[in-house]
Amino acid sequence: MTHTHHSRILAGFLAVFASAATPVLAQDALALQITAAASASEPVELSLEALDALDQSTFTTTTIWTDGETRFSGVPLKALLAHLGAQGSTVEMVALNDYAVTMPIAELEDDAPIIATRMNGETMSVRDKGPYWVVFPYDSDPKYKTEVNYSRSIWQLNRVRVID
Amino acid sequence: MRTGLNGYRVAILAGFGLLLLVLGLMVSNLLSQLRDLSAAAGDNTQWSIAQLDTEFANLDATLADKLAGGTVSQEELQLRIDIALSRLNIVNSGRAAVLFGQNAEAADLIAPLNTFATETIALSDKPGPLGLDDLRALRDMVKTVRPDVRNIALLGVSLGAEQSQQRRAGFAQQLTRTGGIAIALLVLMGGLMVLLDRLLRRAANRDAALLTSSKLLTSTVAASLDAIVTADDSGKIIGFNASAEDVFGWTRQEIIGQTMEDTFIPHRMRDAHHNGMTRYLETGKPRVVDGGRVELAALRKSGEEFPVELNITSIEDDEGTKFIAYIRDISERKIDEQKLIDARDRAERTDRAKSQFLTVMSHEMRTPLNGILGVLDLLKTTKLTPQQERYAQIATASSEILLEHTNEALDITRIETGTLQLTPQAFDLPELVTSLVDVLEPLAREKQLGLTLQIEDAMRMGFVGDSNRVRQILTNLIGNAIKFTESGRIDLAVSGIHGPKLSSVKFAVTDTGAGIAPEHLEQVFEDFVALSHGEGRQTRGDGLGLSISRKIARQMGGDINLNSALGNGSTFTLTVPLERRDAIPDKDARPADTPPPTARPCKILVVEDNNINRKVLGDMLDGMGHDVQEAVDGADCLQKAGGTKFDIIFMDISMPVMDGIEATTRLRAEGGPNAHTQIVGLTAHGREEYREEAQRAGMNRFHTKPIRLDALHSIVADISAIAHAPLGAAAPTDALRDLCEALGPDKVNEIGERFFTELDAYTTQAHQGAFDDDPAALAEASHKVKGAAALLGLHALEAPLAELEQAARAGDLSDLTPRIKALDALAASERATFP
Repeated sequence: MTHTHHSRILAGFLAVFASAATPVLAQDALALQITAAASASEPVELSLEALDALDQSTFTTTTIWTDGETRFSGVPLKALLAHLGAQGSTVEMVALNDYAVTMPIAELEDDAPIIATRMNGETMSVRDKGPYWVVFPYDSDPKYKTEVNYSRSIWQLNRVRVID
Repeated sequence: MRTGLNGYRVAILAGFGLLLLVLGLMVSNLLSQLRDLSAAAGDNTQWSIAQLDTEFANLDATLADKLAGGTVSQEELQLRIDIALSRLNIVNSGRAAVLFGQNAEAADLIAPLNTFATETIALSDKPGPLGLDDLRALRDMVKTVRPDVRNIALLGVSLGAEQSQQRRAGFAQQLTRTGGIAIALLVLMGGLMVLLDRLLRRAANRDAALLTSSKLLTSTVAASLDAIVTADDSGKIIGFNASAEDVFGWTRQEIIGQTMEDTFIPHRMRDAHHNGMTRYLETGKPRVVDGGRVELAALRKSGEEFPVELNITSIEDDEGTKFIAYIRDISERKIDEQKLIDARDRAERTDRAKSQFLTVMSHEMRTPLNGILGVLDLLKTTKLTPQQERYAQIATASSEILLEHTNEALDITRIETGTLQLTPQAFDLPELVTSLVDVLEPLAREKQLGLTLQIEDAMRMGFVGDSNRVRQILTNLIGNAIKFTESGRIDLAVSGIHGPKLSSVKFAVTDTGAGIAPEHLEQVFEDFVALSHGEGRQTRGDGLGLSISRKIARQMGGDINLNSALGNGSTFTLTVPLERRDAIPDKDARPADTPPPTARPCKILVVEDNNINRKVLGDMLDGMGHDVQEAVDGADCLQKAGGTKFDIIFMDISMPVMDGIEATTRLRAEGGPNAHTQIVGLTAHGREEYREEAQRAGMNRFHTKPIRLDALHSIVADISAIAHAPLGAAAPTDALRDLCEALGPDKVNEIGERFFTELDAYTTQAHQGAFDDDPAALAEASHKVKGAAALLGLHALEAPLAELEQAARAGDLSDLTPRIKALDALAASERATFP
């Protein structure tokens, strides 16, 4: 709760640095920390295996950051939140470099976005936008090709928090 | 109107089409703009590129901290390196790669970055934790590459800005285009609005006009005097105006919805009507429809049929053909027409009856006149006291005037009924006028008037024309002149012009009488007009004379003109076209006062049903020294002529039991002793009606009753000169005598032999039936033989041959055999006359 506050109030990489210093690096970098409700005190950590155990969604699409068509597979965000019994109206997603973005839960769709665990069947390294990447099936509908959705397509995802 | 409307509709539809098209264009344009706007990822890419610098700064700071002996863990350092490396990947792929793709500066900047990435990966992936040297090397590399990183980030921003600029320009262009389309759309809509407004106004005007004309039409139909019935193509009545109710007796309510066939078309016409309608609807060929006015019959409700005048027109509308019938009840007109026709027929009948009456009266008057004049002529041959002689003279003169009036009445009737016939014959003009003047001169002398004659030398010649009519007209003109001139003289001047074929001969009768006022010049030629002086004395015009004269002159192709002035006398000019002919004067034209040639005593049969006339004629001939027998009709004549041969037969035309025509025909055909006797036809009916018939029957002469003593002398003398010697002895004809004198008897006998041989061949051929189917050949042969007979002066043969030729030309071969037989008999007797 405290560090969350920090990360939101302090801008710049020093602050990022500070916040990252303590909890993020203390735990497994490949684990996804999820705070399912604003009232929850501690985040839940889900490993790749735990994520793999949930219902998977797979699609192929191009992105503005990669070349050619890419196949993504992973857990739909909506299903994940539902699985964890999330309560609230907005979800905040934070990257390893503390890039953060929010999204109204009401806008979540059954299959978009997903928290991709695999790109073309392979897990993703941090060097290659891993370990988790929030992606939309951009090609399936022009409505996904918006600046808002591009900004929500957060890679090197590390934390998910339901706020409000 | 309809095409105009279609034109508007096409324009409006095209307008709407264009609108839709433009709208489609606009929508697609806007959609593509929207897509561009919403799908644009330029800013995100720029952000990603800009983040590169941040991550390198982070890495630099982490390295600095680590080198300064900070608390940075190995994992965290590794994470920072990985994050920085992952950022480098961004520059090399996706939109960023596209952004930098063609830029040489970018390529220069990216190359050291990639070298850095390779070296860093090699360094960081080395097994074990990074040593101090590694950290320093890494820090140096980071420091070295940071300007490039900064530059690539800046370049990204500037390229991105450029791209944005382009997109904005494109966007502006698209907006301009869309705006243009919107303006065009507005203009188009405005145009369509104007058009619609115009159409609406026009439709409103037309509606108003239609309403007016419809009202007008309704009131016209309602007020029409003609019945107007409208029907559809099945014949069902859909309109019936007030007049129609009056005419047909049906009310509108009753008849609407019924068919014309079942209501007012007469039963006998229903089939024809039905067929006509079917035909019209199938072929469109009208007979009654659109065919103008026709007269037909129609039926009233009461079942009574009446005549109508009908005019049907048709119109086509959306529901099919409609017929409009204009019907007029013409029953009253028809009745009036019939009345007029009846009146006209009655008038014509009356007129015919009048003519008939005149003709009959004339005949009935002539017959007793015949008796009176004959007896007076006879009376004058007896010994009379001077007083008796004067009485007889007066009675004769009065009878002659009466006869003249009867003749005039008959002439008028003939002219009116168009039966006046002209009989052209050859005559000698000087002889004609001289004899005329000789006859009238005593009349003029009585009034101490001079009568002179002048004939132009060029006119002293023979002509062909109806000389009797010319004489009649001139007698009338000169007679009038004498009658209406008190003192002075009357001149007859004959002049003329010789045309190429005909000569126009002019007879001018000039008197020194009182003259005629200009306003009466034409009046004197009218029927029954006599001009009178103030004291009531008749001066000019004698009733029918001038009127008849002018009518006859006009029928001859000429005219009578009058030139006169009050106090200066009058000139009546007769002009007639005559054919020139230098011929011997006709025997008929012989002057009446030349002494009649003395005839040898002849055997004469008088056939006449009127006792007085028969007796008078008989007594006249008896007085002339002839042997006279009498017969009362044709049958009696045949009986008497069967046993005795006569030299002359005087034959009345109209007789009971058997008329003169039939009696003559039979005498000629039966070949008895009188087959060749000279027959003189007599009729009281006038001069022309029976002339042709009499000639055809075989009469040699034709004379109108009453026959006067002088005329009788001439006739008998003429006939006895050419006919056989008394008591039937054969005698050569004049022509034959002339031939004998010229050629000698032997030569004439030779010619005669040849002729009779030819004649025998002809009759034999006829008996054998050679001509039965060939009238033309018979006509040809008859003509040839007739010519030869004429040459030899065999007139007795010439006449029947001429008849045969005529009959053959008419195709009438019915009584060929008796005719040929008669010819044979005739030939035998003629042969005997040859020396």
